[in-house]
This record gives sequence, C-alpha cells and structure tokens, in this order.
Amino acid sequence: MSKVYITGLGLITSIGNDLASATRSLRELRHGFEVYPPFDKPDVPVKVVGTIKEFSVDSSDPEDWVFPKKYSIKREILRGLAPNSLFAYCSMLQAIEDARLSPDDVANPQTGLYAASGGSPFLTHHYHERMLKVGVMRTSPLGIVASIAGTLNFNLVAHFKILGASCGFSSACASSMHGLGFAYEEIRTGRQRRMFVVGAEDCNTDSILPFAGMRALSLQCDPNLASRPFDVARDGFVGTGGGAVVVLESEDEVARRGVRPYAEVAGWGQASDGYNVAISHPDGIGLHLAMKLALKDSGCAPGEIDYVNAHATSTPIGDASEIKALKAVFNIPGARPAISGTKALTGHGLSLSGVMETAFCAIALREGFIPGSAHISQLDPLCEGLNILRATVAEAPKVVLNNSSGFGGANVCTVLKRAT
Amino acid sequence: MAEDVHKNPEVNGSKQPFSTSAKSFSAEDEAALTEALKRCSPATIEAAVKFRRTGDPTPVPTVVIGIIERFAEPDQRARLRGADDDLRLIEDLGIDSLTMMEIVILVEDALQMSINNDELRNLRTLGDIKVFIDCKVRGLPPPKPSRFLPIEHIGAVMPIQPPFLFLNEATIGSSSASAKYKITGDEFFLKGHFKDNPVMPASIMLEAIGQLAVLFLIEGGHGEEGKQADPQTIYFTGCEGVRAHRICKPGDTLTISIKPKRLKMPLATIEGQIRVGQEKAVYVEEITLTYGFRDAIAQPVPVASVSATVTPKAVHSLPAAAARVITPATVSVRPA
Repeated sequence: MSKVYITGLGLITSIGNDLASATRSLRELRHGFEVYPPFDKPDVPVKVVGTIKEFSVDSSDPEDWVFPKKYSIKREILRGLAPNSLFAYCSMLQAIEDARLSPDDVANPQTGLYAASGGSPFLTHHYHERMLKVGVMRTSPLGIVASIAGTLNFNLVAHFKILGASCGFSSACASSMHGLGFAYEEIRTGRQRRMFVVGAEDCNTDSILPFAGMRALSLQCDPNLASRPFDVARDGFVGTGGGAVVVLESEDEVARRGVRPYAEVAGWGQASDGYNVAISHPDGIGLHLAMKLALKDSGCAPGEIDYVNAHATSTPIGDASEIKALKAVFNIPGARPAISGTKALTGHGLSLSGVMETAFCAIALREGFIPGSAHISQLDPLCEGLNILRATVAEAPKVVLNNSSGFGGANVCTVLKRAT
Repeated sequence: MAEDVHKNPEVNGSKQPFSTSAKSFSAEDEAALTEALKRCSPATIEAAVKFRRTGDPTPVPTVVIGIIERFAEPDQRARLRGADDDLRLIEDLGIDSLTMMEIVILVEDALQMSINNDELRNLRTLGDIKVFIDCKVRGLPPPKPSRFLPIEHIGAVMPIQPPFLFLNEATIGSSSASAKYKITGDEFFLKGHFKDNPVMPASIMLEAIGQLAVLFLIEGGHGEEGKQADPQTIYFTGCEGVRAHRICKPGDTLTISIKPKRLKMPLATIEGQIRVGQEKAVYVEEITLTYGFRDAIAQPVPVASVSATVTPKAVHSLPAAAARVITPATVSVRPA
C-alpha cells in the first residue's frame, strides 16, 4: 500500500482567493461575510453570505464575468463554465502551480480527478427559462454541461487534459470528502499516482436561498454573529461558494519530484445515519461510526488526535448531533483534541466544504497552528467536556481529524498527519 | 453527448420559407435584438435592425459575417474580414462544431428563422452560409450542399490524370468550387522551368483552374433532366484577362477557386483565381470550355435491384471515362 500525500492546494474562498490570504484569515480568525445585496428585500429574511471577492459572476453570460486578471480564460472554455466551475478552474491553476506540476504531470493516465458540486441552479434556471421562452433549439449548446452537477469534472477533465480516473460525487455536503476518500483509495491501491480532488459551488441566490425553506439558514443580519458553531445562540448556517482543490500524490511521486508535502492522508472512514432525508441523527450515530472507522483505518488512537476540524455548520440540530458524536469518541482519558469549526469564518460551502476544510487542515499541519472556533460568545453547555478552541493557538498539530456530513445522513471523516 | 446533438434527427427547424412580412418589428424587439447582438460590431447590429425593420435581404450577409466574427477567436477575425467565400469555418477559422451551433442560434435569433440540423451539416464555407441564408430569407429552396471530393474521387471521375492532374482535393458547390494543390517540387516540368529555379508555370496554374472547371462541370450537377456533362467531350476554347501576381514555388499550397459566369451547353464560362494563403497568385476573368451531355448515371439503388434498374451503358461509362488518359482542357497561353 502506497502512502498518500497532499502536495498542492488551490483556494477561491470567502476568506481568501489564494493560499496566503486564506492562511492569514484562518490564523487571525477573519471571516468572509457580508450583507449580500441581492437579499436586501423585505421578503428575504436571510441577509448574510460568505461572498467571493474579486469575482463578479452574476450574469448568465460568462463573457460578462469579471475575475482576477491573472486568470486568462478563452471564450471557448468560458462558455461551458458555471460560476462554480470558474472558481474550480482558478483553484486548479493555483493547485498545479502550488504542487509544481508540469503539463505532463497533469495529463497522463496515472493522474485523475474527482469532483463535487451541486451544479449551478442559477444557470439551470436560466437555460430552462430560455428554452421555454425562445424555443428548444435556441438554448446554448453548452447549457447542459455548464449547469448540471458534473460541470466540474466535465470542464476540468477536458481543459486540463486529464487522462486518468474521473467522476463526480453527489452526497450533498459530504460530496467532496467522499471524493477525497476515494481519490486516496485510488493512490493507496496503486491504481493512480496522482489525484486532483475538487469541490466548488456557486455563491448566489439560487444556490443559497433554497435552504431557507428548510429553515437551515441563519437569519442574523450582523456578519459578525451569523455563523457561530457551538454557540448556544447559533441559528443556522451562512451560505458560501467558491472552489478548492487538493492534490494527492503517492509517496513514489513525492520522492521522484522532490516536493515537500503539506501532510499525509493517513486514512478515512464513512458511515450513514439511516435516519432522515435531511436531518442528522440526534445522537450523531453515523458520524460517530465514521470517526471510529477513520481512526481505525489510519491506525490512530483517539488520544493521538490533536485537532478536529468539525463539520459544525452552525445549525442548532446539526451541531448538537456532532457534539454528541465527538463526545462518544473523545470523552475518554488521554484524549482532548482541540476542536473548531472553520465555517464560522467561511460559511457553509456545501459540496465544497469537505475539500476546502481538508485544505485548511493541511495548512494548519504545515504552518503549525490550530485555527480557533470564531464567534462564540456563549458556548453551548452541551459542549461540556470537549475542548472547543475559542482562539487560534500557535501549536503545531501532528494528527488532525476532519469531519463532513451531508443530507441523507452521509458522514465522511479523514485523518491527516504532519508529513515527516 | 455533443455528437448526439448533431445526429438527433428530431429537429424543429422548419423547411418553410421565411416570411419577412410575418411580424411587425416593435421597439421591444429592437431592444431584444440589440441585446442579443451586443458583442457584435455596431455595423452588424445596424444591418440586423434594418433587415428586421424592412425585410430587405441586402444587409443579411453583413449580419451573418458579423455574427461569425463575434464567435471567432480574436486572432482569426482579421482573416474573416479579408476572406472570400471559400474560407472554411472549421478548417480555416478553427471554429468547432459547438461554436458553429452558437453561431446558428444567434443567426436564427437575429434573423428570426429556423435552421435545422441537416441544413447545418452542409454549411462548410463562408459562401455556403451566405448563399444558404440568402435563400432562406428570400424563401427560395436552399442550394444543394457543397461536397468534399478527396483525390480518390477526383482521380476516378476526371478525364485528366497524373502526372498532369493539379487538384489534390476539391469542394464542389452548386455555384462555386474550390480545390487545393500542393506544389511538391517533383513535378516533371519544374526541372526545366526554370533552370536551377523551380517556378510553377502560370500556364499550369491556369490549367489547374481549368481542371477545377472540368470537375465542376462533371460533379456540379448542371445537367438537364437525365443529362450530365460528358467528361469525354470537355475541351478548352479560350481565356480572357489573365493576371499573375505571385511567383509560386515548391512548398506552396495553391487554393484554386472558380465561379461559373455562364453555363449553357455547349459553352461554360467561369471566373477563377488562385491564392497562396491570403496572397493572390493568379486571376483569370474568363475561361471558356466546350462540353456536351450524356445520359446521367442512375442514382445508387439497393444492391438487390441494381441489375434491374441500371442500364449497362450507364454502369460502364464511368470506369471507361476514368481509365482513359486524355488532356483536352490544357490551356495554351504563353508561359510566364
């Protein structure tokens, strides 16, 4: 079995559009929230979004989009993109540069790409409306590939000339963690030498506001209070989008290329709640089992975990389930990992969140700090006995556990270790 | 998936001629049109508005070229501006089949017409598109699509054969034809033309234009009912207004194009030119050929019924003509 390393990251997030700024935001607990102008309507009770700065992608016509000049993208590519695939495309370019990969390293049968997004409801809506208005034969020929859930893998595989394994994952907010887990398997078992794991979501009315219907979104108007996992007054998640890419490579590739990895992926586990289509199990039984399996797979005891990046979306029910699951795993002598929810800074990136937070964990391992759990003014008493970290500490974690949960009760956990 | 889209036989494109008087053109329509064409040149928008307002088809080519230009990569746009009708969208402009669909959708939107998938497949060159749209707008049946003929096909039907055949490939339309010939340097006459300085003789370049005219007569479908040009009857009669602009040497690829000026048995007069890339090499105002008709060869029919429906004469006439090496269309002008 090959060891698997994280060798490159790319981030377009509400807390930074490059590694340096995202790292600074994590360290200094700077959030990426703003009052979102399209929600400034009397009938929209949700006000705050983890916005993506420097990108203006509100038009349904990609040629209207504005994005940082360093990303030069031809019309031929742009026309098949959704906002989420644009974020992913830019994140890919960053990750390839960060991992110092040559074009041949990217395009070969031993390099694959797994991706996760919920598609672009915004563009789907636009194209359907256009089809009904102007006729079936006058919709964009690329409307489908730009808007359905596979848009990330379709576009990135074609444009980066990926020749290895590729597919998309669809387990809602656990999607990109599933992608990471299975990408890890591809390399561990020798089927691939390198995998890109990509998560991305639109960040607009159509991608966020439908969650208001299930009362999952925070109604807080203050960007400094809206997302506060583990706080007793948390009232829902804050939506965000963006893109994140993690490059995984086999130990042979790391040695051959002579690169310094961020971290080792040591193992993963997954389990399901078998309980409700949209609500997590009140005792977090699936997440509990997934954590146990990930620990077992990585050969780590609970006491070895220094830091848990919790799924912690800031919803009352979801956080409570996770707190119970964390207690079930870590309330044993000798185990007291620092726990934080970085969605307090970014907001909840849905399919994107798993790989985005994997990138954050990789940064924490390499840079030697543990990001705190921001915006807690009164800790939920349910957290009694857990070490919820309220401020960033300059302690270098050795082993990190990362949690992810999605609709239908899908739970995926990964264990990352400091690269030696 | 993209392929399925092309092959899908269920299309809603109507074959009915476009009626320019069907709708009035409101201010709202004009705003929608201007929005749809917002990335096109002002001249394109102006032409589209004029067409939609008046139904006058004169500005239509400007609209179509303007829309193609909008979708071409910026570095290709200059080529489009100076281009003649032989410019091929896919091979020369690098426009892929999906971009072709984007072009069609915007043309449909701008001119308020429907183009179906079968029609779309036949549009290869700028000229094809201009003629096709023009027919649509005027409510005329679209012309027969141009056909690409590889060297194997050319060799099988032409009375002229190597080493005196100067067409490598050809595209034959209903009102024009184009061909390519690459000067290899192995042509026998280049040994002596000139000493230590191989230059393609202007007479041979005129010959190439004449050969394309012969191919056009044979393959262009210009017969009367049941008749078509007989390859064995085509000869050169004269030419007018020949000008040579550029020395052509081994390595150059000649792009030969012709347009018929008058076609009435027994005389066919065409206008022709040769370019190398964007550079004009030879222009001839008129080449006139004489020709006669023979019975048309029956259309291909299912194998089981071939013997019953095809006359023996028709079956034999094609191989017989193709096998004979004759050079009747050689142009006799003074070498350059």
